[in-house]
Amino acid sequence: MATFHLRVLTAEKKFFEGDVDRCVVRTMTGDVGILPNHVAYLAPLGVGGLSITQNGKARLAAVANGFIEVSDGQATIIAHTCEWADEIDLNRAEQAKKRAEAQVQSSKAGDTEFAHAQIKLKKAMNRIRSAQK
Amino acid sequence: MASGNMKDIKRRIRSVESTMQITKAMELVASSKLRRAKERVEQARPYFYALQDTVSRVLRENRFSSVYTEQRTVKKSLFVVIAGDRGLAGGYNAGVLKLATAEMADKQAVVVTIGKKAQEYFGKRDYEVLADHPGVAESMTISDIQPITADLLARFRAGEIDEIYLCYTAFVSPMTQEPRVVRLLPAAPASADDRKATDKKQGLVECDPSPETVLHAIIPEYLSGTIYGAVVESYASEQSARRMAMESASDNASEMIENLNLSYNRARQAAITQEITEIVAGSGAVGG
Repeated sequence: MATFHLRVLTAEKKFFEGDVDRCVVRTMTGDVGILPNHVAYLAPLGVGGLSITQNGKARLAAVANGFIEVSDGQATIIAHTCEWADEIDLNRAEQAKKRAEAQVQSSKAGDTEFAHAQIKLKKAMNRIRSAQK
Repeated sequence: MASGNMKDIKRRIRSVESTMQITKAMELVASSKLRRAKERVEQARPYFYALQDTVSRVLRENRFSSVYTEQRTVKKSLFVVIAGDRGLAGGYNAGVLKLATAEMADKQAVVVTIGKKAQEYFGKRDYEVLADHPGVAESMTISDIQPITADLLARFRAGEIDEIYLCYTAFVSPMTQEPRVVRLLPAAPASADDRKATDKKQGLVECDPSPETVLHAIIPEYLSGTIYGAVVESYASEQSARRMAMESASDNASEMIENLNLSYNRARQAAITQEITEIVAGSGAVGG
């Protein structure tokens, strides 16, 4: 089966690099699947799942923000944060969710703090969702 | 006199020795920190380069003018200056601050500082310091940069500032560090040569949902990423500059100790010789 080269980079480390069959990632407009020989493509990422299929096996990760670029048959995901679903500490994610919820409650809508708390909440929920899949 | 001289030398030896202990310790600390900092630089570089690549490509694709790319008449320029938190790092702080000052010379400049030394430097002089972020370089993560970037972008969009420059020290190798200035905004594609190479591919990238949206989503990411990369590079440069400075200080100290030991032994020998001469002369006078 045809494969293509995928790199997933975060500021802290090179998260993933290898030849894969398929990857599905959450962009701002929704989930987008990349297969070999995709056209040049660029999209900002949302907060959601990233699934990488390598040798027929899929592995799931949680991504938040950044973007995906495909050029010359290579895909590069530049992510803000990225974690393998099976490495997410569920307890910590739950705690982060509670903290974020409390923050959302305590700040006024329209505040930057409120917006931040909402983003945090979204990220925490995304991590929990990915971990439970 | 002779014994007084000896005492003086002894005291100096002791003081140089204790200085050397300090410089030696600082050298060790700096080299272990450098190792970690170097790892961070290596981890961050692929991200940094990919980010720059993509942004250059997007900028080439974009024929429309955006608030982030259009050239305005420059009234105020903002400089983000990254320096260390501590001194005793050879020419590290002086180098980047000198470069920054030189760049600001013919501009109406406002400053955002990262690192205590930069804050002190610009605080003392006649510069408008918009914000300072001391003591963050060692353990900085990309999420720490986001509020800084958000603030910069808000000011830029509001027209408060017309240009954003970044002054940092590039970590070329453990032996060489190089102060650099780059312009972050208005954003421009990396270089003209680059443009030729990819010219034929222009207009083929499909942007989702639209080129404008993509650009506006990428620019904050680009700024955060670039500033993060610069902080990481600067921190590694600081540690390696300090390690080198402390190494040469330790070398100098051990050389000084050697020389002082020599003088000390000479003085001791002279004192003994003199004593013997005195005794011989004395006994000669009595015996004779």
